[in-house]
Amino acid sequence: MQASKPKAIEVTDLTVAYQDKPVLWDIDLDVPPGVLLSIVGPNGAGKTTLIKAILGLVRPAAGNVLIYDKPYEAQRRIVGYVPQRGSVDWDFPTNVLDVVMMGRYGALGWVRRPGKNERELAMQALEKVGMEAYITRQISQLSGGQQQRVFLARALVQDATIYLMDEPFQGVDATTERAIVTLLQELRANGKTVVVVHHDLQTVTDYFDWVMLLNIRRIASGPVEETFTSDNLRETYGGRVAFMK
Amino acid sequence: MENLSILIHLDYTLMVVAIGAALLGTVSGALGTYAVLRRQSLLGDAISHAALPGIAIAFLLTGSKAPLILVLGAAIAGWLGTLLILSIVRLTRIKYDSALGLVLSTFFGFGLVLHTLIQRTGNANQAGLDTFLFGQAATILERDVLTIAILGGVALMIMLVFWKELKLLVFDEGFAASIGLPTRTLDILLTSLLVMAIVLGLQAVGAVLMSAMLVAPAVAARQWTNRLRLMVFLAGCFGALAGVSGTIISSTASRIPTGPTIVLCATVVVGISITFAPNRGLVWDRIRHQRNRRDLKTATGRLLK
Amino acid sequence: MLQGHFDIQLIAIVTAVACALPGVFLVLRRMTLMSDAISHAILPGIVLAFFLTESLSSPLLILAAAGTGVLTVFLVELLQRTKLVKEDAAIGLTFPALFSVGVILISRFAGNVHLDMDAVLLGELAYAPLNKLKAFGYDLGPVSLYVMGAILVLNLVFILLFYKELKLATFDASLAATLGFAPALIHYGLMTLVSITTVGAFDAVGSILVVALIAGPPATAYLMTDRLSRMLILSAIIGSVNAVSGYWLASLFDVSIAGAIATTTLLIFGLVFVLIPNRGIIAIARRQARQKWEFAQTMLAIHLFNHEGLPEAEAESAIADLHEHLSWDPTFTNQVVKHALNNQYVSRKETQLALTEHGRTIAQQALVQ
Repeated sequence: MQASKPKAIEVTDLTVAYQDKPVLWDIDLDVPPGVLLSIVGPNGAGKTTLIKAILGLVRPAAGNVLIYDKPYEAQRRIVGYVPQRGSVDWDFPTNVLDVVMMGRYGALGWVRRPGKNERELAMQALEKVGMEAYITRQISQLSGGQQQRVFLARALVQDATIYLMDEPFQGVDATTERAIVTLLQELRANGKTVVVVHHDLQTVTDYFDWVMLLNIRRIASGPVEETFTSDNLRETYGGRVAFMK
Repeated sequence: MENLSILIHLDYTLMVVAIGAALLGTVSGALGTYAVLRRQSLLGDAISHAALPGIAIAFLLTGSKAPLILVLGAAIAGWLGTLLILSIVRLTRIKYDSALGLVLSTFFGFGLVLHTLIQRTGNANQAGLDTFLFGQAATILERDVLTIAILGGVALMIMLVFWKELKLLVFDEGFAASIGLPTRTLDILLTSLLVMAIVLGLQAVGAVLMSAMLVAPAVAARQWTNRLRLMVFLAGCFGALAGVSGTIISSTASRIPTGPTIVLCATVVVGISITFAPNRGLVWDRIRHQRNRRDLKTATGRLLK
Repeated sequence: MLQGHFDIQLIAIVTAVACALPGVFLVLRRMTLMSDAISHAILPGIVLAFFLTESLSSPLLILAAAGTGVLTVFLVELLQRTKLVKEDAAIGLTFPALFSVGVILISRFAGNVHLDMDAVLLGELAYAPLNKLKAFGYDLGPVSLYVMGAILVLNLVFILLFYKELKLATFDASLAATLGFAPALIHYGLMTLVSITTVGAFDAVGSILVVALIAGPPATAYLMTDRLSRMLILSAIIGSVNAVSGYWLASLFDVSIAGAIATTTLLIFGLVFVLIPNRGIIAIARRQARQKWEFAQTMLAIHLFNHEGLPEAEAESAIADLHEHLSWDPTFTNQVVKHALNNQYVSRKETQLALTEHGRTIAQQALVQ
């Protein structure tokens, strides 16, 4: 076969089923390095499941996921993950700095405790998301946007090459949304690959350069200007998208 | 005079009992923190009730009443009960609360059947069951204290060694799995620690009241701090405090059972914490509320002028 | 003696049915543990009423217990509303505290009076028929039969009268509220019933095993039907079966009757859990085994469909490489291919697989669903 370009993420023929209900059917997806990709699709399209399957959190019924040509288990250190904000209990007794330092746990390995080095990395990440003034704040006393920034900072200290983010714009204020977009574009400028589960079709063309349209199967994926067409959208959403010009 | 009589009561036996109760309170308080944070407060109730058939079977099989064997039986049965609850929830549409109630009561009922069987062979008496139901804090001996100290100490050590892994598991399981932590194994480890705390605690307060010993210290501790480290430490302290004060109070007068007194002491600590703890407490909340209103009033007053 | 057998079984059945009926709503409303809390927490109410009346069969006892039960529900909700304590922890705090008060009251002040801790916790059905209701010198049967019978009738009347409201409040509380059905009122009504039922059942089975009567039959019935009305009837039947078989188990081995009823509750639940068509674990396992093949064939069809007519189609449909693309075990892949060929989902062209018209339809249908 021809020598192909390197792929940051390569998903081939991925099928995931919960019990016997398929959530993803035979998905193929190539993500080239250095793109800012949004995964778009209606509710229940399997967007979160796709992210989880890439991370090895759910077992596929068929198919394969490779991160730079190797299985995820071998590449954990170069992948950063931002789960949905609603997936954790924000009343958990911990503060901002502590949550961000959790991003270093993978690099630390078993039993070793975070120390000065981890603290400094966490501080730097918090500065990047504009949360350095809140380090000792209990996490339940943060606004939704601030909580999301803390999660982003935690992924940043993972110092990854690939970032997977599940709905980082969900329920955040306008300021945070702008800050996150700037951050994402900065990451891409530094050669990182960023995959974002996204809900707001209006902003796809402004924020991202690649897009994947998903509804249980892959409808299309590629550069935004080629892929984000009204035809593809109609196929994804079943003709329910009226706003496209 | 009153003080003097308390001093006289602080004899050697009482001291042993108090130390035992303090140790048990520490272990169940510290480990109970995780149960409360995972919203599994009532799992402790189920495990403690489900332990009865395990104790009975351990006795039937070995004929021994050695605490270690009975504790092992209790732990296995408690574990099986937990496993059954989780499988029912995973495989059917029956919800967690019903599965828990079902397992709790029916395991206990089965234990009761076994107990009456043993009773008929003349090997046990009603006192055995009462011990299980209400604990036997007052009869804790020196060697019991040693068992509690060793087993409880091991449980707490394991908790400390895997501190950061367990913390991440409880806070954000998905993230924990994404960085390669074996979440299922950690889950089993944490549940095993909880089972250990419970079967030990059974001796102090018994099955019926065990859930309070897991929940109360943790809930009280949560009000005073926003850090897990301090919460676990405080919960351990509150548990110990409840253990000691319950033991001493129940020894000052006749016919005050120790277990329920310990539980009431723990409840009082919760009451005080919920009311007076800074930042989270109800009094504090009220003051802040009124201050806000006053500020708002003066602000609008200024605005109107 | 025969009369005794009959009386005990009758009391057991009436108690079981009286518990199972409100239990259905608790199970559906995810409030089973509230019944556990109530059954323990009513102890101080019973003790105080006992001190006042010095009798265990006074109606005041039931009133006091019902009051304490409702108080428990209220306390739990109050604790939750402070937002400082989550629901499960609130329950886990409240009932041991109230129960402790009860135990201390009993051992401190009732040491010489007949109020036995074991009777409260474990009950003793065997003694229930001994306490007879006598009027004008006639023996009218066991008192507890009358008490439980009255409670059963009360539960039945409440459920029949408010069936629609209960159903609505259980499945859609917010809709019930907007329709003006006051779900809070229904909620407290139900909790009052549960409290009264629990006190009544106390005598027979004690406070721990009453949970088995309340949660067991409805949980079993929940695996057997989708309809609320059927679930109520089935729960009543299962409760009766548990009670009678438990009684016979107890007489056979000469063990605690209440314990034996709880044991049969677990056994019958276990049987249904394993054996029931559709929802039992055997049925689930068999369905999964069957679906595994169907699912795999559909996967294969979709795989071929997705790559049809594309440049990579040749590579993707080579039989020898299929297992690599799909990350399947090679033998499993071969078998799936064989099944798919038999079912005419695919046809074979030398080393390649191609979709048939039928296979294409299958793939398209699966994707649209």
